[in-house]
Amino acid sequence: MQVEKEVKTVLKKEKVSSEKKEKNSEREKIIVLKGVKKVYRMGTERICAVDDVSFEIYKGEFCCLLGTSGSGKSTLLNLMAGIEKVSSGQIIMKGKNIHHMNENRLAKFRQKYLGFVFQSYNLLNSMTALENVEFPLVFKRVPNKKRRRMALEMLKKVGLEDRIKHKPKEMSGGQQQRVGIARAFVANPEIVFADEPTGNLDSKTSKEVMELIQGMARVNKQTIVMVTHDNKLAEYADRVIRVFDGKIISIEENDHSQKKEESDVNDEIAQVNKETSNEETSNDINNNDINNKDTNKEEFTEEVINLKKAEG
Amino acid sequence: MKFNDLVKMGLRNLFRRKARTALTVIGMVIGTISIVIMFSIGYGMRDSFIEQVMENGSMTVITVSTWGYTIDEDGNYIDTGEQKLDSDLVESIKKIDHVKSVGGMLQKNLQLTCGKYNSGMMVYAMDSSTFESFGFPGLTQGEYPTADHKDIIVFGSQARNSEFYNWGSSRGSNSKTIDWDRDTISFTFSDYTVNENKKAFTQVIKNYAVMEESENYMFNYYAWMDLDYFKELYTKYANTLKLEDRKKAIASLNKFDQIQVNVDNMENVTAVQDAIKELGYSSSSDMQYIEPMLQTSKMLQVVLGAIGGVAMVVSAINIANTMIMSIYERTKEIGIMKVLGCMLKDIRKLFLFEAALIGLLGGAIGIMLSYLLSWLINKYGAPLFESLLNTSYMYGETTGGFSRIYFWMPFVAMGFAMVVGIVSGYLPANRATKISAIEAMRTEG
Repeated sequence: MQVEKEVKTVLKKEKVSSEKKEKNSEREKIIVLKGVKKVYRMGTERICAVDDVSFEIYKGEFCCLLGTSGSGKSTLLNLMAGIEKVSSGQIIMKGKNIHHMNENRLAKFRQKYLGFVFQSYNLLNSMTALENVEFPLVFKRVPNKKRRRMALEMLKKVGLEDRIKHKPKEMSGGQQQRVGIARAFVANPEIVFADEPTGNLDSKTSKEVMELIQGMARVNKQTIVMVTHDNKLAEYADRVIRVFDGKIISIEENDHSQKKEESDVNDEIAQVNKETSNEETSNDINNNDINNKDTNKEEFTEEVINLKKAEG
Repeated sequence: MKFNDLVKMGLRNLFRRKARTALTVIGMVIGTISIVIMFSIGYGMRDSFIEQVMENGSMTVITVSTWGYTIDEDGNYIDTGEQKLDSDLVESIKKIDHVKSVGGMLQKNLQLTCGKYNSGMMVYAMDSSTFESFGFPGLTQGEYPTADHKDIIVFGSQARNSEFYNWGSSRGSNSKTIDWDRDTISFTFSDYTVNENKKAFTQVIKNYAVMEESENYMFNYYAWMDLDYFKELYTKYANTLKLEDRKKAIASLNKFDQIQVNVDNMENVTAVQDAIKELGYSSSSDMQYIEPMLQTSKMLQVVLGAIGGVAMVVSAINIANTMIMSIYERTKEIGIMKVLGCMLKDIRKLFLFEAALIGLLGGAIGIMLSYLLSWLINKYGAPLFESLLNTSYMYGETTGGFSRIYFWMPFVAMGFAMVVGIVSGYLPANRATKISAIEAMRTEG
């Protein structure tokens, strides 16, 4: 049943995307994947996380890799960022074959062209917001004063000019992610990778964060590659690449004026995905349970203290 | 990454874990102290040996005596024999490598007279141009003989202090302290019986010089003269003697009583002695006696150094452990750094810098404490060390101490501490570069 539905949606998608194809061919391809495969070895078993994937990402577009957990979308992002090595196939970024690069050239490449936004922010807890934003510039050997100025400007842009001396632990999730975004954009990279940037945020802050990323990228015509499992977030993207079981099942253009038709299709896929994503949501619930337990504990200890006070 | 950023980050990381950094530094401090103190004791003891022997003469001087005795390799006496010491021998010794100067010496007794009072003194005669190379001490009065003015007697610092006695006095012998500036003092030789037929030889002391106090007894209790001047006087004396005595006296001037050889360096003394032995002459030097002592002290230094080294190795392991812990703790940080474009060599440098800094800091503090400890040992450690070591060596009161920190020791120790830090930080640092960024970012922390 599931397969049938998938095939249907794919057919529908192809209609939409074929119209756009001509337009795309004129644009500069900034990332090209050709037959990319990633195989993990778990003991004797071999797991194909990314299975023969080919697609292009164009300069200046906001591209979204949409898929459930375990679909291989994060692996795909890591492969593109050069954090993981491909098992076979090619990834060409800015005309360079990144899996042929050694660690040093890769590091230089990242300094020059790449920015990263993470789900868990990945800020350094020992550093202030300002120092965190400055951090990529340290590796780029930007002079002290200049990089301080750049970082300050960036923090102003994300609306955190009054928080520059705060450590990550002293800030809310949304604020931390905004620091993360400032860090990703501070060196003005051509490509920014975002891995579930709103995964740990509530819907309101998610929206703010997404708009921030989108706005920033538009100003400097930067390419955004975002990974998410959230259909709503995918709406911010110009193009959505759906990933399932390590394969691309569809590539669709989000013409922001034609939202309705797309969202219908999206809903259908969402339904398909629901079953598979159950696992994920149940995980979330578990996490919530743990959190609840913690708060319960606190309440409990408070009660005990109160009781003791009463006795005393 | 620029160097000052590296320093800033390294310091921040060390400061973040104050307790652990402090403990590792303390480990290094102990390592440094033990090495520096052990070496300082080793060197202090060696110096004491040398100083003691210095009191009996210069370390670089070899003496060839008329009555030479042979000793075996262990320093035991075997035989005594008369050796003929003449100017030919002086010339052939001069040709040996590392010999700085050679002086043939005559040795006679002087009889000093001041009115009715008499005293005796030993006089050495040697070519005055070689005085300087044998390390003659400075003078408190007068000047050394020169080529133009050879008629000078140089007295050792204590030589003039001996009492003058009147042996012929009816009330037994009575003594008189001489005022050298006022009294007229003359001398003669007393090697042969006086010839009644001739006027006895006597020479009034006019020009004389006095040496400064020296560590070498040779310069304290005897008088010194230029060889030519001495020969001139002694020939005059010989001419007043009976014929057969005169012959003997003149002949005695052609043979040296001893030859002193000055070697350029302490370490070459043994080699030069061997060369003299090949010429067929036995010789003696203070080096001969001190060499077994030095060997013992060298061995002691090695043992003490090894004890210190163990402490150093322990602190090196300590640093490595700290760095490995630090890497586990900062796995995520390293991952983030990698993703943000930090070069591998920068990550390695960062960890090496932290390890080196721990070493350097520990080394610096350790050296400061070593100076304090060394001072305490010298002040209060005397009874302990004397009871431990008095079996074979006497510690004089004039020794410089049991623990002596040479000026180069702090630098060597600090450099060594830093190298230990870097070496023990190298493996952990390499390990840090191998952390996979993706794994690192998944870890919490």
